[in-house]
Amino acid sequence: MGLVQNLIFGLVTGSYIAIAAIGFTLIYGIVDMINFAYGEYITVGSFIGLLSASALPLPLPIAVLVAMAGGGIASLLLAKLFFTPINHTGPIPMLLTSIGLGLVLRNAIRLVAGRNARYYDTETTTWQFQNVPDLSVGSVDLLGGFFVTSQQLVVVGCALSVFLVLHAVLTRTDVGIAMRAMSDDEALARVRGIDTQFIRNSVWVLAGMLAGLTGVLLGMQTNVSVTTGFSQILQILSAAILGGAGSPYGAIAGAYVIGVVLALSTAFLPTGMTGISSAIAFVILIAVLLVKPSGIAGQEVRKA
Amino acid sequence: MSLSDSLPEYDSDRALVFGTVAILLGLAIAVTPVTVTIPGDLYVFFEVGILFVVYGILVLGLDLQYGHTGLVNFGHVVFFAAGAYTMAMLSAVDSFEGIALGYPWPVGLVAAVVVAGLLGALVGATSLRLRGDFLAIATLATAEIFHTLFINFTDIFGGSTGIFGVPTPLGDLAGTRDATLVTTLLVLGGLTALTFAVVARLTEAPYGRVLRAIRADELVTRSVGKSTFRYKMQAFVYGAALAGLAGAIFAMYQGAISPDFFELQVTVTIWIGMLLGGASNHRAVLGGLGIIMGLRLFSRFVQGSAPVTTGEFASIRLILVGLVLILVIRYRPAGIWGDDRELEVDS
Amino acid sequence: MVRNSGGAVNRRTFLKISGAGSIAATAGCLGLGGGGGGGAVTFGQPAAQTGQWDFLQPGVSKATDVAVQGINDAGGLLGRELVLERSDTAVNPQQARTVVTQLTENEDAIALLGLFSSELEPLYDFLQEQQAPVITPWPGSNFLDTRGGDHGTPDDLSDDEWIWRTVISDTVHTAGAALRALDQGHDTIGIINGTTSGARSWANGFMSAYEGNGGTVAAQVEVAQGESNYQAALDRLFGNDFSAFAVSLPLEDAITLLSDWSDGGYGRQPILSDPLAQNDLADQVGSDLNGAWAASPGESGPSYSTFESAYQSGEGDAEINAWTPPAWDATQVTALAVERAGEATAEAIEQNLGPVSRGPGTEVANFAEGKKALDNGEEIKYMGAATPVTFTQFGNVVGSVVINEIQNGQFSQVETIPAEDLREFVPEGEY
Repeated sequence: MGLVQNLIFGLVTGSYIAIAAIGFTLIYGIVDMINFAYGEYITVGSFIGLLSASALPLPLPIAVLVAMAGGGIASLLLAKLFFTPINHTGPIPMLLTSIGLGLVLRNAIRLVAGRNARYYDTETTTWQFQNVPDLSVGSVDLLGGFFVTSQQLVVVGCALSVFLVLHAVLTRTDVGIAMRAMSDDEALARVRGIDTQFIRNSVWVLAGMLAGLTGVLLGMQTNVSVTTGFSQILQILSAAILGGAGSPYGAIAGAYVIGVVLALSTAFLPTGMTGISSAIAFVILIAVLLVKPSGIAGQEVRKA
Repeated sequence: MSLSDSLPEYDSDRALVFGTVAILLGLAIAVTPVTVTIPGDLYVFFEVGILFVVYGILVLGLDLQYGHTGLVNFGHVVFFAAGAYTMAMLSAVDSFEGIALGYPWPVGLVAAVVVAGLLGALVGATSLRLRGDFLAIATLATAEIFHTLFINFTDIFGGSTGIFGVPTPLGDLAGTRDATLVTTLLVLGGLTALTFAVVARLTEAPYGRVLRAIRADELVTRSVGKSTFRYKMQAFVYGAALAGLAGAIFAMYQGAISPDFFELQVTVTIWIGMLLGGASNHRAVLGGLGIIMGLRLFSRFVQGSAPVTTGEFASIRLILVGLVLILVIRYRPAGIWGDDRELEVDS
Repeated sequence: MVRNSGGAVNRRTFLKISGAGSIAATAGCLGLGGGGGGGAVTFGQPAAQTGQWDFLQPGVSKATDVAVQGINDAGGLLGRELVLERSDTAVNPQQARTVVTQLTENEDAIALLGLFSSELEPLYDFLQEQQAPVITPWPGSNFLDTRGGDHGTPDDLSDDEWIWRTVISDTVHTAGAALRALDQGHDTIGIINGTTSGARSWANGFMSAYEGNGGTVAAQVEVAQGESNYQAALDRLFGNDFSAFAVSLPLEDAITLLSDWSDGGYGRQPILSDPLAQNDLADQVGSDLNGAWAASPGESGPSYSTFESAYQSGEGDAEINAWTPPAWDATQVTALAVERAGEATAEAIEQNLGPVSRGPGTEVANFAEGKKALDNGEEIKYMGAATPVTFTQFGNVVGSVVINEIQNGQFSQVETIPAEDLREFVPEGEY
């Protein structure tokens, strides 16, 4: 059980979750709602990507861009139809609406696309590094042999580029700065003349694009089906809360923590208990809520 | 004075009378040597009816938490499951998997309510001081954690198989299938009515007014000197304990439980029923639940004549359910029978 | 301050109309549901049209429909038309309970041709009360190894347990996989399995047969469904020493897992659980999986070719899977029980399932042949497509197991392990 190997796995898993968690947490911070239909945005993105890659057919990188664009548009449309009209009612009705929307979308996708899973056509290369010394401490190998696949590099690479682009947007563009202002204090932002509805729309588009990207990456890793995004929603949620709800930087940190903990728990839990490693994310969530609800980034959590 | 005049005036008292009569009638039918028969065509209605009254206790508890106190509990099924599993593990005999201790069923029943209440206290402690949607997440996460625990620890909880051999006292008392169905419906329905009475009594009292004040504006309520956390915790625990009771009687009706009985679908059904009927109105939430469950039963009968396959039909039905939820929240947030006040739970 | 709901239909009127309408419609359906007597005979089929196993239902539905068509073409049951009522349970025991009640009471079904292990087990006592025979192609769970059937006394209904299955129990057919693994010299093995009851049931059956014959299980890792990757679990498993590893997971997760395995270059001999013998798996994972094999029950019964030709001429293109031939068998043997009994009732079926399946008698491959023989006054022995369908006292079947190996990206049959070799795993009186 090499630590390095498991850290690599954790970083890869964390990357998927991070990209999605950023979008999710931005919605939370700026539109002030938990969007339980976000998993379906991811699924839609993966279907769009698959259709462009196989039916048209477009080369994979272009298909990714199409999926991101499609995700952004779909997200904006759904927001205008379902969320913007009830913005004033508060987070709970919006949360409930998103649950209903998720139900509708999942089954609509099922009706249209059927139940079968579909697959991306990808080739993966693996690079093995097996001659690294073990450096054992007890039963744990600190180093040990490991391997890296091209798919893993693509995922991590995408995540890093997303982080850089996001940082640039948030710090150097007017829209990004306005987003940060709104996330901090909406009333004050409006006083400063920021068009809050426009910023909200921008957030929907951005979150949709990130969901689309996650969808394609997930689809390549597993398959494209009705549950592609839905199966990850609780981990994304946990990452966002762990990182501090509303903070994109926190979401990144939270996602990697969850990814690494998932990998390590699978590696080190006693035999017979490895099946519960997926629930570890939720245990972390509850622990965070108990101990430090403001999360890693220390976002102020409005007490009831 | 006509009969209707001599009935008690308040909902809670009426429900108390109705519930007691129903339970006594049910037990009488069970022990009497006179046989009861019902046409076979109606069996399915009795079965769904029994499920309805059990879920009815769940929705009343949830309504106490959300409709009256504004607490968003999205893991209600975990308290239902906790009650059922406690009941099963303590009182089952000779289960294929998992623990079965074989204690008498009243022990299991009391323990179920207590365990569910304790679990409610635990979950409440994590999130009741935070804003409403955090509680939603915490409860959802708790439900997922326990679902995973139940499935993975086969020696304790029976894993994916579950626990068999739970005592079925009503069935044993009644004997024949027909009598069991009638007795169970009457007794469990009576229990639901008693629950209604208790909950209505609670909310008709000044206690209920504090809860509703918390729901409307917690800050103001606190400034008037009420310890809002204490009230919220109590409402949450009561709701959880009621769910535990429902779980225990559910286990005693089925005679066996498995994780498949306690999925997210239960929570979704209860929530949509509550919102559709009108949260904070006890009769309304039962009505809303009845509509949702009735529609599902109805759809079973008509699915043969619909021009779509069953798989498609199921998807269409779920799309409609989701749309109902969205439309109710948007256009009629007070539900069909609820008060025309907006239910806002966060200031 | 009551806000006027303005414009909307008056709430009370709306509710009254829709309530009355629903009641009327339901009453109408109830009325239509009844009827029988000299009319059609109904079999009910609880189905998995939604839920986690729904990808297997189309094959089972087609097999059943094709069988029903053949029965009606041959003149029907006792000259009456056979009607099949299919109803979705979503593989959920709560819904299954409602479906069973509705099929037996409202649709007057005299037999039920479905139900999964996860439905049968919690509802076991309930089904006993129903006193309707359940002849199902689905459940592999060892719970049913010593439960069900007529306990060897067809005429005496008081000791019957009413549940029969035409699919081989996991306890038995996994022994086929275990035997072959040992034959091939794999003395130590690793196992990776999911936490669903089906996945675990396979893994447990395999392990007990394998260890019971001298093998050593070096490691077992359980994984949850729907994960985005299984790398960490694979890394843990392959840290141990073994020459072959068994995989028991739902299909899509298996594809993810084995793709990860292929990427990681772990190698060693993969052994697959029988639901994984699908060409999709071979397609998606690629050439690394060449040489992997699965032990598939239910593909080598005596009348498999009769089934196959009938199936291919049916509508739709659902792929044959391990539960498709047993579904055909379930329909055929139940219909033959009715025909032999001379009356279309649940009790008659229960009393005649043993006699038409155990022999001695003229061997028949389907209803048409059986009907002809019965009309001639002969006794019959139904020989099935999945297995010879010789029901044991507990309503179980034994049959041979086919080894399907991936060669050049496709599954092909390479070997058959005969039923006799598997029989010793389930001694008389315990199956």
